[in-house]
Formats: sequence, C-alpha cells, structure tokens
Amino acid sequence: MIDVLTDTERLALWLLWADIALVLIMAGAVLIGRLVSAYALARLQHFERVYQPLAHRALTGDAVACRMLVASPWRHRVPIAWLLISPLIDDRDPRRIVATRAIAGALSLVTIAEQYMRSRWWWRRALALRALGLMQQGSHTGDMLAALDDSNPDVRGAALDALADLHDPATLPAIVARLQDTSLQRGRRAAVIAAFGSQCEPFVLELAERDPASRLNYARMLGICGTARARPALSTWTADARPDVRAAAFEALAHIGLDERSATLAIRGLESADVKVRSMAAYALHGWTGAGDPAAHLARHLDDAWTVAVRAAQSLLEMKEIGRAELANWARHGGLAGLLARQMLWQAHLPR
Amino acid sequence: MTEALVAFSMVVAAYFVLWNTSQIVMGGVASRFVWRYLRRRTPRNRALVGRLASPPVVSLIVPAYNEALTIVDSIRALLALEYESREIVIVNDGSSDDTLALLRRTFSMLPAPVAFPNPLSCAAVRGIYRSVRQPDLIVIDKENGGCKSDAANAGINAASGKLVMIIDADTVLEPDALSRAVLPFLEDPSTIAVGGNVAVANGCRIEDGRIGEVAMPRSWLARFQIVEYMRSFLLFRLACASANGVVLISGAFGLFRRDAMIAVGGYDRTAIGEDMDLTVRLQQFYRTQRRPFHIAFDPLPLCSTQVPEDIQSLRLQRCRWRRGLLQVLWRRRRLIGNPRAGVVGTLVLPYIAVFEGLGPLLEVSGYAITAAAAALGLVEWRHFRLLLLISFLFGASVTLLAVLLSDVTTRRYWRSRDLALLMAAAVLENCGYRQLNAWWGCVGTVQAWTGTGKWGEMKRRAFEP
Repeated sequence: MIDVLTDTERLALWLLWADIALVLIMAGAVLIGRLVSAYALARLQHFERVYQPLAHRALTGDAVACRMLVASPWRHRVPIAWLLISPLIDDRDPRRIVATRAIAGALSLVTIAEQYMRSRWWWRRALALRALGLMQQGSHTGDMLAALDDSNPDVRGAALDALADLHDPATLPAIVARLQDTSLQRGRRAAVIAAFGSQCEPFVLELAERDPASRLNYARMLGICGTARARPALSTWTADARPDVRAAAFEALAHIGLDERSATLAIRGLESADVKVRSMAAYALHGWTGAGDPAAHLARHLDDAWTVAVRAAQSLLEMKEIGRAELANWARHGGLAGLLARQMLWQAHLPR
Repeated sequence: MTEALVAFSMVVAAYFVLWNTSQIVMGGVASRFVWRYLRRRTPRNRALVGRLASPPVVSLIVPAYNEALTIVDSIRALLALEYESREIVIVNDGSSDDTLALLRRTFSMLPAPVAFPNPLSCAAVRGIYRSVRQPDLIVIDKENGGCKSDAANAGINAASGKLVMIIDADTVLEPDALSRAVLPFLEDPSTIAVGGNVAVANGCRIEDGRIGEVAMPRSWLARFQIVEYMRSFLLFRLACASANGVVLISGAFGLFRRDAMIAVGGYDRTAIGEDMDLTVRLQQFYRTQRRPFHIAFDPLPLCSTQVPEDIQSLRLQRCRWRRGLLQVLWRRRRLIGNPRAGVVGTLVLPYIAVFEGLGPLLEVSGYAITAAAAALGLVEWRHFRLLLLISFLFGASVTLLAVLLSDVTTRRYWRSRDLALLMAAAVLENCGYRQLNAWWGCVGTVQAWTGTGKWGEMKRRAFEP
C-alpha cells in the first residue's frame, strides 16, 4: 500500500510540474499571440499610412506617385496590391479598374498573381484569382476557366467570383455550361448569373433546348436572367410533365412578366393539382391586369392551401384598383380568405 | 478504507487529467477550424450576399417576456442590420411588465390583421401589431406559454422567411451578423442551421443598439463568465463543428431553415434546455433519415448577450442549464453510443455524458471525500492539496488556451489592461467559481432527479449608453 501511495504521489507530483509548465506555456502563448497580432496590425497601419495616399494619387494619374510605388521594396508589393485592389470589390467604376490594372502592371503584381496561381496552397490560388478578376485581367481568362476544375472548392468559388467580376461575354458559354455543376457553390452560381444578367439568356435557352432533362435548373436560371425573349420557352415548360419544372417556369415568368398567352397559362395553372404549381401560378399573375379576369380567379384561391393563398393575396395587392376591389369584397368574409384580404388592405395603406 | 480513498482520489485525478487533456486536443482541432475559417473570410466572400438578385429572406424571431429594459435597444440593433431582406417578429409572451406598451409607443404599432399557418402548436395569440413606420416589424402578442419554446414556435408560425433566426430579446447582434450567418446557406444547400459564437455584452458600451466600445466588466462574476464562454464556444463547439457534430446552437443566436425546424416539430415546449434539445433532434432526424445536412458554426462573435452579475440569478441559470442537459441526455439516451447517429452518437453525446453529465458530481465528491478523509486522518492533507492543485492548474491552462484562440480570432478585448484581466480571470476562475459551478451542477442534478427547480428570472440591467 505504501508503494502505491508513493507511486501515486510521484505521479501526482510529476503531473503538477507538467501542469505548471503547461500554464506557463499557455500564458506565454497568449502574450506572444498578442504581440504578433499587435505587430501585424501596426505593420498594416504603417503600410496604409505610407502607401494609401500614394495609391490614391497614382489612381488619379499622378506619375510621381506611381513611380514611388514602383520603387517600393518587393516585399511590400502584396500589401500594396491589397490596398489597390480590395476597394474594387465595392467600387466597380471602369475608370478605376483600368487605372488599377495599369498600376498593377507597373508594379509587376500580375507576375506575383501568376506565381500565386501556381502555388500549392489553395488560399494563394484563390487570392490570385480574385485579384485578377477584380482587375478584369482579360489575359488570364483561360486560367480562371481552368480554375473552375480546381480540386479545392474555395478555389472553384473564387474562379466563379473572378469570372463574374471579369464580366467578359466571351466566357459566357463556358460559364453557363458549368452552372449546373453542383460542386460549385449555389450562391456563387446565382451571383454570376445576376452579374451577367440578360446576356446569359441566349446560352441558357440554347442549352435548355438540347438538354430537356435539366429544364428545372434552366428555369431557375431564367428566373434570374430571363427577359421577354424567354417567355415562349417558359410558357411551353408550364406544360412539362414534372410539377417542379412547371412551378419553376411560372416562378421565372413571375420575374419576367406575363403576356396574354402566358397569363392564360398562369390562370389555368391555378387549377393544377399540385400546390407548388398553383402557388407559383398565383405569383406569376402579380401585376397582370390584362385579359382573363385574373383578379377574380386569384380571389377564389384566397382560402386555398396556405402557400397558394398568400401568393394570391400578394398578387391581388399588386394589381392596384382591380385587385384591391376584389380584396375589399373578400375582406367581409371569415376564415383565412377574409383575414388575408384584410391584411393586404391594411398593408396597402402603410406608408412606404 | 485508506486504499479505497486513495483509489477514489486517483480516479478523480485521472478524470481531471483526461477531461483537460481532451480539451487541449479540442483546442488543436478548433485552431485548425479557425485557421481555415480566417483564410476563407475574405472581403470578396462577404460581398457575395450583396451580389445576389434576391438574397434569402430571414425572419428574426425575438421571444420577449418582461424584457422592457432591453427590448427597444435590441430592436433598434435589428433594424440597423446590414441585411435588407429580413423581417422582425417580436413575440410578446404574455409579459407582465410594459414590454408591449413600450413597443407600441416606440415603434408606432397598431393592431393589424395578419394571417399565417400554424404548423407548430403554441398558446393562443391575443393580437398582432404592425409598425406603421417599420413595415417589416411585427409583434405577436400571445398568452404566456410558460416557456420560451412556446413563444419561439408562435414566431416560427408567423415567419414568412425561408430562414428563421431565434434570438433572445437581450441579444445585441453584430451589424454584419446576418450576412455572415447566411453565407453557409448560400455555399452549401444542405446547410440546415448556423450557430454562432456568443460574446458577453457586460461592460461594453452600446451605441444605437450596437456594441460600441468593448471593455471588460467591473464584476468578477461577469469576467469569469467571459472566459467560460470562450472555453465553451471556442473549444468544444468548434471541435464539434469541424466534424458536423454541433449539438447545441445557443438560444442567444441561431439561424435555421424554417422547413427543417417544422420537420422536427419546432421547439419542444416541455424541454428545459430547448436550444440543445432542438439541435440534437435536428441531428437525429437528418442522420437517421440519411439526408445530407450540415450545421455550420461561425467562430467570430455574431452577437453579444448580458450574463448575470449576481449570484442568485447565476445559480438559477446554472441549475436550469444542468436540468436541461440531463433532460436531453435522458431523452436521447438511445443515441448515446449508437453508430447510426454518426459522430454525434459515437463521440459527441458520450463525451457530454461522461464529462459534462458526470463531471460536477465527480468533482464535488472528489473534493468532499478527499477533504473528509484528510480531516479524519485517513489520507494526508497533501493528497488533498495535490488534487486541488492539479485540478486548478489544468483548468487554468485550458482556459488560457481558449483566451489565446479568442484573442487571435476576434481581437475583442484589445486593450492590454483587458487582456491582463482576461488572463487573471482565466486563472482565478479555478479558485472558487468553477467549484461553485460544479456545486450548482450537483444541485441541478438533484432538482432534475426530484422534478423540482424553477426557471428563475435574471436581474437585467439596461445597456450602458
């Protein structure tokens, strides 16, 4: 027993010393971490103080400031690149982009970006792609497209960002062809379509014709980038055998706006057996005050399933007088229809 | 007898060593997570939400029960969020103070007809108010449902967004909290929920409903809770998040897909720890249905919340947390060790059961029995001192690791004085505060066993202007 106690004590004492060492290491690490952070922050502030005014002047065409930037030490180039390029995320003024590109060329920043593109570290590849995209470096379009196949998802996302920022219509066929790739982040795919807007539409329509199996995705894309040109195709898709495709087609039509043919189809869609289709058909009719007495048809769905009823009520609200007259009729009713109608009329009087 | 006592002391010491070693290992995993997160957190990434044609609508649901002191500041902060596609649903859960009157007066709210479906059950709604100045602000006035879950369910029913965020009324969100929290949903369609790091608001200056100047609070009790939050959010939860095993999205901040919440029946009104109960049910539902899912976690503070500064409120809170934890472990006991529940069944829940479930009982009994044995002369006092010292030093080193991670990640307490106070709190919390918590854990266990205990009300302070 004495042996056990002695062993336990020895172990405990050993643990105690290990603990003391650990506490000291952790406390030291906190202090060193803080010193490193403080140094990094001070360095950043120093670069901002020294190079920010020069960058501003160089961007306004001051050749002296540009020469001073070019004379900066090579190891300062990445922080300078940051100061020059990061404002382009929010400021997409073409003149600023051109000026930044010129200065970046003089500072050999593109060479650094090329080195980063070949780096084994994913964050360097992503950084380089974003910088090239923000500067609209058209000479590197091929690299950006190739990076869509990078092994790292963040690099693939950065490539999509870069292509959206590059905004080169020549890249559109390649981009649109990749938009169904679910390994690319969903939000980024939507953002790239939004960036190109209606320029995507012809390619989407062409691909949709060749690949009817993926109509659902194309309908969703047209919901973002579609124009009146997409109406005939979308109207055809409202008769697709798959309810999801029909619903997505009505949703896209809601964004594009209706004509007489598509409005007739939407009114017919209100009688679909599928709730999602009825809901999107009701959504598509928002603001349509043309033929077919849409207000009366919509009003009949105020006590439908919740998603249909709420879409119908919102569409009626957006029909102005015709819709509001119908809502006023229903406001006297009880149940969901009456409550929704009263809610919409209340909202109509809110100051916006 | 002596042998048994020595053996028991050894078990307790081994337990401390194991527990703290596991926390240090988690620190390594969490560091890797944070490092990757910081690499991905680029300004271009953050700009993504702004470049979408239609970002997802987020319904912010704020259950409020007697929150007159902080509700207006909280709503102002919500209205100032850098995310336009949102609505704010305040659920007045039958408050007995003037929460509703204050809201009506401050935001010009009028009774309004609002229709919504009721997929989740909750207490009767008395009235609905909408602001004539802020069209996206809605107040649901309902009968008191006896718990926050009931109010949250009423809010989820009324929410029109695809994403719902449940926050406490005293939570102050960071201005970019929503755009940051929405990002995982945009990047990965299988994301069903996002949890966030919760910082402590005590001691901070609030300007226009936002955290202005950050400083350490004067109260040591609040300081201890700051380092405790760091340890909890930056070690265990990040380690879980790196394996998609998050089992607790704090009630102070959680963004969920509405359809996922409805699929699991929303908040369980009988749950004491409703936030953990919901997260575990989400894990269970998606894992057993073999559906792809992801629960993300943001290591940077998304919001700040007030912590109790008086012993009584803290005791009630900790006993409640303890009862909640034990209730979830008991209700989900079939998941513990169940390989069908993946990492949650094989690692996360067993870890919680052993180290958080048994922890306070072993700690308190370890101290008590060894001290009693020393007093009776069965073991020497130096054994007791050794046990205390090992527990103290290991605890301090783990908390310092959390402080290091927090300092590198958030740089929240930037002044040197605050850092010194943080380090002091990391060391001193082991001299009494931690033991007190363990004791409250035992009290909570007894309450859970006997079915006693109450929710308790925290003494709140208005935010400092």
